[in-house]
Formats: sequence, structure tokens, C-alpha cells
Amino acid sequence: MDAVNALLIPIFDLQLLGLIALGTFAGIYVGAIPGLSVTMAVSILISFTFTWEVYPALALMIGIYMGGVYGGSRTAILLNIPGAPSAIATALDGFPMAQQGKAGEAIGIVTVVSFIGGFIGIFALALFAPSLADFAIRFQPRDYFLLGVLGILLVGSLSGESLVKGIFSGALGIAIGSVGMDPLTFTERFTFEISGLRAGVSFVAVMIGMFGISEGLMQLHTVNTAAVKQTIGRIVPSWAQVRKHLPLGLQTSSIGTVIGALPGTGGDIAALMAYDHAKRVTKNPEVPFGKGAIEGLVAPETANNAAVGGAFIPMLTLGIPGDAVTAIMIGALFIHGLNPGPLLMTSQPDMFWFIVSSLMLANCFMLIFGLTGIRLFVKIVELPRTVLLPVILLLSIVGAYAVNNSLTDVYWMLGFGVFGYFMKLYGYPLGPVILGVILSRLLDDNWRRAIISDQESLWMLLKGTLASPLSLVLFAAVILIFLSKTPLWGLVFRRKTAA
Amino acid sequence: MMMKSVIGAVVALSLSALPALAEYPEKEIQGIIQWGAGGSTDTVARAITPRAEAVLGGKIVMQNVTGGVGAIGLNQVADADADGYTVLFGAENPLLYKVMKLGDKDYSDFIPINIIARGVPILVANVDAPFNTFPEMVAYINANPKAVKFGSTGPGGLPSVVTAMINAKTPLDVTFIPYDGDGPALTALQGGAIHVMPAVLGAAIEGIKGGTMKPIALFDVEASPQLPDVPTIVSTNPEFADVLPWGPFFGVFVKEGTPDDVVAKLTAAYAEGAKHPDFVSLIDGRGFKMLSLSGEEAETFLNGWQSTTSWLIHDAGLTKASPEEFGIPKP
Repeated sequence: MDAVNALLIPIFDLQLLGLIALGTFAGIYVGAIPGLSVTMAVSILISFTFTWEVYPALALMIGIYMGGVYGGSRTAILLNIPGAPSAIATALDGFPMAQQGKAGEAIGIVTVVSFIGGFIGIFALALFAPSLADFAIRFQPRDYFLLGVLGILLVGSLSGESLVKGIFSGALGIAIGSVGMDPLTFTERFTFEISGLRAGVSFVAVMIGMFGISEGLMQLHTVNTAAVKQTIGRIVPSWAQVRKHLPLGLQTSSIGTVIGALPGTGGDIAALMAYDHAKRVTKNPEVPFGKGAIEGLVAPETANNAAVGGAFIPMLTLGIPGDAVTAIMIGALFIHGLNPGPLLMTSQPDMFWFIVSSLMLANCFMLIFGLTGIRLFVKIVELPRTVLLPVILLLSIVGAYAVNNSLTDVYWMLGFGVFGYFMKLYGYPLGPVILGVILSRLLDDNWRRAIISDQESLWMLLKGTLASPLSLVLFAAVILIFLSKTPLWGLVFRRKTAA
Repeated sequence: MMMKSVIGAVVALSLSALPALAEYPEKEIQGIIQWGAGGSTDTVARAITPRAEAVLGGKIVMQNVTGGVGAIGLNQVADADADGYTVLFGAENPLLYKVMKLGDKDYSDFIPINIIARGVPILVANVDAPFNTFPEMVAYINANPKAVKFGSTGPGGLPSVVTAMINAKTPLDVTFIPYDGDGPALTALQGGAIHVMPAVLGAAIEGIKGGTMKPIALFDVEASPQLPDVPTIVSTNPEFADVLPWGPFFGVFVKEGTPDDVVAKLTAAYAEGAKHPDFVSLIDGRGFKMLSLSGEEAETFLNGWQSTTSWLIHDAGLTKASPEEFGIPKP
């Protein structure tokens, strides 16, 4: 009964309802602009909402979070510049669709599947939070390492025509990710005694450069060709189309929820893993992946929005943040005099249901705001290049500067932009670079933790892996996926069918 | 001669008129937080600042400048003008930069506005660990060398200092698993990846109350009012009394050379902010000890902390340079 009452708080309070709507609307734009992140917006809001009651403050933050995760897809589709790392996979098929004049259709689908993914994440939070949190904290360093290895196998999916070039790009990403002070031992790596390198290379600056600037430079080649005329037919996808992709969407939403609930991983890894999953399970896509496949939009966008609900699972049940945004929200709860921890759900069940309900509302507002204004947005793609390119450059510079208010990041961004341009020119895929940067810490830190835990013995590590059901499943998945991408698999498979 | 005295008079006049013309703060103040959003330093800084703003009558815009164990943020404030318009919100780490070779600046290049609060270290264990008290833990470790896993956060962090304290009294043969902060390490503790973690009470208090982790000993000379049943280390091992109380702290700083009247205004504002009942209850609730030190008292606190901690970790072999090189006296 109390739960129902708490669920109804934001629905019948006009002020709260308005704040959630406002937050979601603002979040979509924060998310869409590369360099402006939800993490940044929420931490600014802590100071801003300091004197407010806790419910309105949370309502606004939740709206921003939900809208922001979705918003990253906008610029990914329209400009090939992901607004946030979790939208990298969305650009792979979204931008080709925009190039074919189907930007409106792409945004429509992304909006609807984001809503579905978001809903499933919230559903899991509402019904299974305690057991999912219990499962998530059982991940040992070796499990995170295996998850990282699974992630690095995505290079295969992101490489395009040449796997060798993909592996080179991925390795480059890992190298970039390991620059700076090693957070486990405070030893400097690849810093060459330059103090500016101690903090490492800002990963968002690399992303903006590689996607924003290099894309801008690429488009200079075709600066005088007319922009693609966008056909704006049906924006809201038909029920038949939604139903067709629903099974995939449900699978990728589950991936998103679980990866989101893990304290060491977030929506960015979830989206990439979901994309890989879609590529594996979709036998005959209508359009090939990388050329505008609908499945390539459904998978990452359901997963990253499902990860939102997932991230709240360990936060609300144990006081452990599921990602960077929920970490800040924990700080906000402390400032508002609450003590998020394992007792929060029993001592303040209202708070739990209030958050569930606000997330649900934010998800609905996201659907509404997402579907309106699409016609206006797709006009961006129709702008002449001579107008669009300077805007891309400006957005990239502002975005790179905004991350840490650092001019050094702007130079990194420009440098990686030019470098990325040459990589594109010579057929080196850029996706694996970002993947490498995202995964380098996950792999490196957890490998070291795992091997130290087992007395630096590979044999003991292997024994431990085989003894734990969770590690065993992950280990088997790594082996299977690896084999499925090598010629060996085809050999075995053919032999079977022959016999 | 005549000219000179006229100039002198003009200069004197303008000097005396200056403070009245430029009433601090006449523009927005930049607040640089050394650590990331959501952490202890961030929470405390963002909670006290609005209270101080009210007294100061100005706006302080807060910003997290992280990286390099906080050195990036510290250097940014050190490179700005000493005019009180750039304020540093920092933790204890800079006092170890010199001996850890992380930078050549520390709080001696700053004026402390307020040393807000001190954290209390606590040793917590996984709920299934086969020991409940410090002596039981020591006995178990001695019987099972290398089997017990301790979480750590790199040399100079709280876990390394507490471990150095323990090793100085009772050397322990355990395996250290590195984490990038006590948050992730305490998560790993609850999942069973590590067995014991020296943490700050504030980070562990809710877990202890909720029964997801087990307190072993509070590293302080008196019990915590929030957890009165948790035994202090000195109640079982009185030999620890000579290094305690010790703990990480948070403070507000401005660059050395900032005008006295600005320092006085900021000091008054933050001292008043620290008294606000909501802020006091936040500090108490998270298991911190309110200090609110400024001026001479704050300098003494900083020097004492630097001397104790530098030598403790130097004797444990964790430093890259001797505290002697920087004239840090032995405690």
C-alpha cells in the first residue's frame, strides 16, 4: 500500500511532474551535444538544488539521466558524432540510414526502442532489485577481466573489411587508455616525464576528435555535392516493425540491465556488447550491418537505456553506485540528509518507489519529446556542408573543452581528429580505438587483481575460473565467440553437417 | 620634493581607498574540488559551500578538477592569482606529494581557510571472514600466511597508512589487492573478492549498520557515537595509542600571498558555514569528526599530520624520497 502511495507521488504532484519533464527535455540536448555529459549536468545540479526538498531535486536529476542517455543517439545518427560514448554503436548503422535519406525513420525507431529498453530496465529494478544486486556484487576481478575479454572480441564486429586493421586500431586504443598515472600503484606509464600526461588522455576528447573532427574532414571531400534529401514519411515505426524486432530488443535489454547493474561497467560497454549480440543472432538482416541495419539501432539503444534502471539496482539496494551518474546521486542523497546503503530500502521504502515511478515518467516523457520535433531535426542533415562543417568544428571544440575545462584536451581532440581522418582514409576503423580506450582499464586493473588474488599463478587462476559457475560461463562464452570468428569454427561446423 | 610628496599622498590615498572600492567578493569565486563528483571531498565541499556563500554574500562556482591524485586541481589553484577568487577544496593527499614524488607543491604553498573535518579509519571484513576481532584476525593471518586478502588503494592512501601502522606493531603476511578507491574496494569486500579493508568510517558506516560488512576495529582512541559497540583498536592493542588519533581530512585553501582581509572574510564565512546544524548532522551522520580549524591551529594540524604520516610510510618503505629532503621533521 505504501509502495502504491510512493509510486503515485510524482504522478499527482504537478511540480514534480513538471520537473521530470523539464529534466528529460534538457537531458536529451545535454546528451546530444558531444562533451556535455549527464555526469556533468547532474553534478552541477547538486549545488543548484541544494536548498530544495529531496524529491524535486531527484526528479530533475532522474529526468536528465533518462533523457541524456537517449539524446546521445541524435548526433550519432544525424552527424556521425556520438553525443556520448554509449551511442558509438548507434552511429554505425544510424548515420548510413541518414545518408540514405532515412534519418527520420532512424530517430523514430531509436526513440521507440529506447523507451522499450528503459522500461525493461525499470521493470527489473522494481521487481528483482535485491536478487540482481546480490548477483552483480558476486562478480570477482577474474569475471570482470573475462567480461573485458568478451568486450575486446567486439573488435571483430567493429572492424569492417579488414580484421588486421581492426586489431591495430583496438591495440592503439588500449595504448591510449594506459597513458598516465596508474591508479592502482601511482606509477607513471607512457608519460615521458611530462606532467601534463599524468592525468592521462581524456577519453571523451579522443572520441570527439575521432568522430567529430575526422568526420568533418572526411566531408570536406564532398563539400560541393548536394546534401542528401531526407524523405520524411512515417516517423513512428509501425507495430509490425516493432514486433519484428521485439525479441532482439528484449535480449539486448536484458544485456543492458545486467551490465548496467554491475558496479564496474556502464551503458557504453552494454551498448557495444548488445550490438555484437545483434550481429551474431541476426541471421539475415534486411540491410547488412554497418550499412543501415535496423537491428544495429535496436540493440545498442535498448541496451543503454535499460542500463539506466540497471545502474539504480545496486545503488538503491546496497548503496553501491552502478555507474558514474548514480555515484553522484548517492552524494546528493547524503547532502539531503539520507543515508543510501543496505538499509535504505527498509528504512525508506518510499524513496525506492519514488525513484521507480520517476524513472517510469521520465521514460514516457522521453518517448513524447523524442518523437516530436524530428521533422525539424532532420533538416540539420539537409544543411549545406559549408554551414554544417564549421558548426561541427565549433561543437567539437566546445565539447572537448567542457569535459575538464582544459585547453590541453582541445589540442588532444584536434590531434586525434586529424589522425582519425588519416585512419579513415586508409581504411582503419575508428570504433575499435574507442573500444580499446573504454576497455583498457577494465582489462588491465582486473587482470592484475585477479592474478595477484591467485598468488600470481596462472594455474590457480584457471582452477578458480573452472570452479566458479559464473566464471565458467563467461570463460565458455569467450571461447565460443572467439572460435565462431575463426575459420576453425566453419571447419567444425561443416564437418558436422557433412556427417 | 613637492612633487614627491604629492605622489606619496596620492599613493597613500589610493591605497587606503582600495579596499573600500573593491569589496571582496566583487565577482564569482571559482571553487576547485580536487576529487571527483560523488566522493567524500566533493560531498563535504558542496554541502558546506552554500552555507558559507550566505555569510560571504558572493557566489562560489564549484568544479571538479581531478587526476594525478589531486595534483592537477592543486596546481590549477597554485597557478591562479593569489586574489581569493580561486579556492581549493582538498583532502590530505597533497601533504604526501613531495615524498611520493607526485609534485613539488603541497599545502605549505597555501593558506588554510578551514580544515573542516577528519575521517576515522576502520578495519572492516567480509561478513563470512573467520575472525571477529583484531587479535583473532592477527592469529588467523599468522596461521594462514598470504591467504587473507587486504584491499589497498596505492601508496599514500588511507589503507596504506593504516597497514603501515599495523605492520609497525605486528607484521602481517597478507596479499594486497589494489583498487582505485575505497568505494570499489568495499564493493569487492561485500562480493568476497577481498577479505579485509582499511577504510574511512563514512564509507563503511551504512554497510556495517546494514550487516553487509563486519567491523573489526575502529582506529581511534575513542568509540564512535554512531557505532558505540565497535571496539577501538586501543581497547585490544593499547600499543597503537602513540600513532592515534589519525585520519584523512578535508579542507578549504587559498594560494599563499592572498590578501589578509580576503583570508579573514573567507575564514569567517567557512567557520560560520561549518556550524550550520544541517552540515553538522551530515558530518556526524557520515562518521566524520568536525574540526573546523583555521589560522595557527590549522597550520599546526597540517604540519603534525605531514610529519606523522610521511615518516610512518617512509619507515614502511612506501616513499620515493625521504621526508628529510624536504625538511619534514620526525614526529
